[in-house]
Amino acid sequence: MIELKNLSFTYENKEVFKNLSLKVKKGEKVGIIGESGCGKSTLLRLMAGLYEPSSGEMIIDGENIPEKIIRKVSVIMQSPMLLPMSIRENITMGHEVSEDKLKKILEDANIKKWIDSLPEGIETYLGDRADELSGGQAQRIAIARAMCKDTEILLLDEPTSALDGENAASVLEALDRFSIGKTVIHVTHRKEHLNGYDRIFNMKDGCLFLQ
Amino acid sequence: MKVLKILIKRNKFWIALAVFTALISNLSQMFFAYFIGELVNKIETRDTITFSFLAVPVILILSNAFTQFFNQFIGRLSAEKMAHTLRVGYAKILLMRSSKENCSVAAAMSVAQNELAQANSYLGNTFFDITGMAFMGIIATVFLLFQNVLLTVILIVPTLLILIYVVYSSRKLSGIVTAAQEEKAHMNKTAYAMIHAFPSVKIFGGEELCKETYNKRLQGWKKHFVKLGRLSSLYNTLSGILSRVPLLILFLAGSFMVIRGDILIGTLIVFLILQKSLTMAIMNLPNWFANFKVFTTNLSRIDIE
Ligand SMILES: Nc1ncnc2c1ncn2[C@@H]1O[C@H](COP(=O)(O)OP(=O)(O)O)[C@@H](O)[C@H]1O
Ligand SMILES: [Mg+2]
Repeated sequence: MIELKNLSFTYENKEVFKNLSLKVKKGEKVGIIGESGCGKSTLLRLMAGLYEPSSGEMIIDGENIPEKIIRKVSVIMQSPMLLPMSIRENITMGHEVSEDKLKKILEDANIKKWIDSLPEGIETYLGDRADELSGGQAQRIAIARAMCKDTEILLLDEPTSALDGENAASVLEALDRFSIGKTVIHVTHRKEHLNGYDRIFNMKDGCLFLQ
Repeated sequence: MKVLKILIKRNKFWIALAVFTALISNLSQMFFAYFIGELVNKIETRDTITFSFLAVPVILILSNAFTQFFNQFIGRLSAEKMAHTLRVGYAKILLMRSSKENCSVAAAMSVAQNELAQANSYLGNTFFDITGMAFMGIIATVFLLFQNVLLTVILIVPTLLILIYVVYSSRKLSGIVTAAQEEKAHMNKTAYAMIHAFPSVKIFGGEELCKETYNKRLQGWKKHFVKLGRLSSLYNTLSGILSRVPLLILFLAGSFMVIRGDILIGTLIVFLILQKSLTMAIMNLPNWFANFKVFTTNLSRIDIE
């Protein structure tokens, strides 16, 4: 459950939105589109507990303070933000995960085949090879990372915008599988990626308009 | 290396002047030793010593002091000029690059900051001192060959044997220097990536993992650094002890030759005075190698085609 009540947010001196309200039911899938720079990422980061609202209230999965909210959500951003560590560490982020669960995650994230083809498999170090990774592979590692955390709420910020058609399709497929039964907020500039979503909003001038 | 060539080319005049003053300063030192030898010879043979003869060392001492001062001054100046060329040239390239690739100058500059600072300090502190020492070694060798070929060979051969040891150890050192540098770059990269990916780290609770990984890198670098310090001090101590061996041999062989009447005592004295210039230059080669290696590695790291 996500509830935003009269939420306002200002960067130092730039107001991004004012008195924004939104209610998303458990298991609902909501899409947000809008011109670049209108504040979609900011809203998502706010919902992820990365920022504190200037005013208003938000309740995300029963929590209302950013430090607790951050534990209740998974975010997939435009850039995968990988660390110079092994694939395993990038996925588990140092948390305990059983091998069986990890195997299933790799399959669901569409990266098992690729990882198995690497000489060092999941222990492959991503430090210097991060550049050799395709955007799709990197993004699917980020998805596997989110699958590991496995929260009820999933926030997606243009997860495929940096990818070509084929890679985007593979990433979307993994995301579709992952979103089953979850509450999803998906920000994108491509409406066709929001097929089957319960509600779609257009963000403009700091407000959300139902499509 | 390309950068170094450009640096030298752009500062030809100052470098040439530094070399010239070093030459004069070293030569006056050589001739002073030669004069002492001659003086001892004259005393030995009870030859008359004129006042004009005694004026020579005064001139030599003065010219040595003056050129040495001048050389140090010019040396520092050319080091500063080269460092300046390096900084300005680099800033220019960064500016060009940042406008082309749309990254900030500050970000690119901070990445290269370490390497630039180290290259600068090397140019300012080490480059001219050590190069000057090597230069002095070469001049001393040539000068001594003119005095007595056999005795020069007797001095050089054991020194060369030690040089082989020294080259071996410096090879080993430079390998470790490179490894330590890479480890450090690795460490910086890890820190940078962690800052860049901070939102993800926070959302997925990776703070512990990041701390651990960074500490691991830090330990790795520390290990290399400690090893480097330990090995270089070991090698330097050993070469310190070995460096006394040529003097011992020179003294024994030289005294023998004097007693046999092959050379004058003055010649032996010239050798005893100047042997240090020669052996010290050779003994310092590993430092020269190690430092130069760090310098060129730093330069190549900021080398932009
Ligand atoms: N860290 C920041 N500091 C200040 N202003 C920001 C920051 N991030 C984004 N903005 C500004 O806030 C507005 C909304 O940005 P963003 O949420 O990224 O938009 P979108 O994701 O819809 O493209 C933009 O005008 C942007 O310039
Ligand atoms: Mg955005």
